[in-house]
Amino acid sequence: MDYDLNEEQNMLKESAHKFLANECPGDFVREMAEDKKGFTDDIWQKMTEVGWLGLLIPEEYGGSGMDFLFLAILLSEMGAFCLPGPFFSTAVLGGLTLLETADKAQKEEILPDLAAGNRIMTLAWIEQDGTYNHQGVKVVAETQADNYVLSGTKIFVPDAHVADTIICVAREKGSTTGVDLLLVDAKSPGVSITLLDTMAGDKQCEVVFDGVEIPKGNLLGGPNQGWPVLKRILQMSGVAKCAEMIGGAQKVTDMAIDYVKIRTQFGRPVGAFQAVQHHCANMLTYSDTIKYMTYSTAWRIAAGLPFEKEASMCKAWVSDSYRRLVALGHQVFGGIGFMEEHDLQLYFKRAKAAEQMFGDADFHREMVAQKMGL
Amino acid sequence: MDFSFSSEEQKLLEDVRAFLKSEATPELLSETHELGFIYGGKEGRKFIKKFAANGWLTPNWPEEFGGLGTASTVSFAIKEEMALAGVPLIFVAAHMAGPTIIHFGSEEMKKEWLLPIARGEVEFCLGYTEPQAGSDLSAISIRAVDKGDHFLLNGQKTFNTHAHVADYHWLGTLTDPEAKRYQGMSIMIVDLKSPGITIRPLITMAGWQTNEVFYDDVTVPKKNLVGDPNMGFYYLMHALDFERMFPLAAYRRIFDQIVGYAKDTVINGQSLSKQPLVRQKLAQITIELEANKHLYYRLAHMLDSGQVPNYQASMQKLFATEVAQHITNTGMEILGLFGQLKKGSKWAVLGGLMEHHYRSSVVETIYAGTSEIQRNIIALRGLELPRK
Repeated sequence: MDYDLNEEQNMLKESAHKFLANECPGDFVREMAEDKKGFTDDIWQKMTEVGWLGLLIPEEYGGSGMDFLFLAILLSEMGAFCLPGPFFSTAVLGGLTLLETADKAQKEEILPDLAAGNRIMTLAWIEQDGTYNHQGVKVVAETQADNYVLSGTKIFVPDAHVADTIICVAREKGSTTGVDLLLVDAKSPGVSITLLDTMAGDKQCEVVFDGVEIPKGNLLGGPNQGWPVLKRILQMSGVAKCAEMIGGAQKVTDMAIDYVKIRTQFGRPVGAFQAVQHHCANMLTYSDTIKYMTYSTAWRIAAGLPFEKEASMCKAWVSDSYRRLVALGHQVFGGIGFMEEHDLQLYFKRAKAAEQMFGDADFHREMVAQKMGL
Repeated sequence: MDFSFSSEEQKLLEDVRAFLKSEATPELLSETHELGFIYGGKEGRKFIKKFAANGWLTPNWPEEFGGLGTASTVSFAIKEEMALAGVPLIFVAAHMAGPTIIHFGSEEMKKEWLLPIARGEVEFCLGYTEPQAGSDLSAISIRAVDKGDHFLLNGQKTFNTHAHVADYHWLGTLTDPEAKRYQGMSIMIVDLKSPGITIRPLITMAGWQTNEVFYDDVTVPKKNLVGDPNMGFYYLMHALDFERMFPLAAYRRIFDQIVGYAKDTVINGQSLSKQPLVRQKLAQITIELEANKHLYYRLAHMLDSGQVPNYQASMQKLFATEVAQHITNTGMEILGLFGQLKKGSKWAVLGGLMEHHYRSSVVETIYAGTSEIQRNIIALRGLELPRK
């Protein structure tokens, strides 16, 4: 057993930290939350240059072929800095889905683009009932000659407003058992995208497909075969989201500890009061447990071991714990942490958004219950 | 990072499991339940010697001291297996005193004690707490006066579990009352059969016995002083970091039974385990057990890679004991009214174990440093928050 990062993993962590400390200060995050696009070409270009867009992509397709644990390490630094923009959507939702489902020709066409930062992707899954359940998929793909014709509405689609390619989860007309994963060119006639105004200022969209024609060759995997792979994507994306969350949790803990050492009341640093010390001890306990839950699950994914139950345990625990950790952060910061100009609010809002994305704690506890044979 | 056992470790653990399957007899389980630990009873002593003959009591000790020279990971895993089998192995001698002797004891002391400890032949009991020295162990007052070739001891200890069944007392004493706080304490090993020792039982609300121990002009040979005089507080803190490694598997054992109960109990034509709220509760415990597993094996990894756990041990003790209480309360909720029925009662379910675990888990967040003390340690040692 080894609970430490190895040298290579530490190098990635440190270089990511340095990069983001330069490129992604709190002011930038605030500015991008207000900005319609939500990121800049400049930072995207720089992220591409350091190889992040190609991290998971095999070398034969122009990436560096690192494993899921490296992805988790990178994402945790991104979470620590609340990095805005479509990295997660492109590399995780797009990249992972392609790696799991695409045939050789599709990989050859798309993956080099992803690695080179030339294509932004996302995954359109959720619909009106707001769940990740099978029954929730109602967008219809109707077969017409050599095309699918796609109709219906997706919501909570991250970064669709800047995506070049949207992977849409759809149901073939008349099918009750399976779903299809379809590559949709976001510029296709009949696609209309509306930015939703969210608490965290992250860019989640409504995407309406109105008779959108898609060549049959854009199907990922077999017809009606999408659900099992989608479940894997959900679990992997959930763990990837947890990786962002542990970075945020670490940052909030660090900020709080620094603050209670210098903020004085009643003639002493507030960190000398046991009530505050115990809040801080609980923050560190949450932070440590979520870190190991996340890295151990990422390690399982990287090692090719079964991970469904672990991923659900991870997402449930991290979702609850990160929210509680931030709440304790608010207690020790007091009034200043409630101010918009203070960075703590960025983490508070993102913690809730991340908790709800890819299944909240209740959702994943139910998954765990199923895995326990209950 | 690597979160798996090596294949050799897995093999050893399989051997341990097989051994436990054949040797954890109903008589042993019953005696262990009565005493609270696999400690001091007739069956327990027999079992432990046989178990220790494989080197499993102290697998991570060097071979010259009776160990197998394995990673600490193995030692941690064996403790889990034992607890899961209903024979929790928490040995003061092997797991708290022994490591301290290895670190700080003289060569002579190592020779005298380590092999018998590793063979499971001698059992120790902790002698720390006194009526006025609970969370604040620096306040002990049991006096050990240097009489040239021996120490003469007078004073009182309390809550010394196992004193009535162990062979030796691992005793914190005051050797220099004039010294500054933390600097006048020494650790010594005392034969519990020494003249002048009186043991008075204190019965806990879990039905188990702990003890008050009175020292009245008790003579202790000089060679039984551990390490240097007046360094006891530091040794004790070191030993406590070992005590604060809490294998949660004894509670995992009752949790497995609670899960079984939820699956098997049908109310209005539906298993309890099909009720959404019950499913949520059971899944939550499973998740907390998983989180604890990582805090637990992190400690083993730290020891194996030459790091010294301090706040991490407190964190694991804090977390694990709160999970323990979460498990027992969840069990009481799921069993409902039946949870209160005691062993042997008409209508009792799960052999009446639930109410017993519920009662006994109260002390988990208290002994070996309360949860509040653990949080203090995390804040002061781990986060370096100011003391004033």
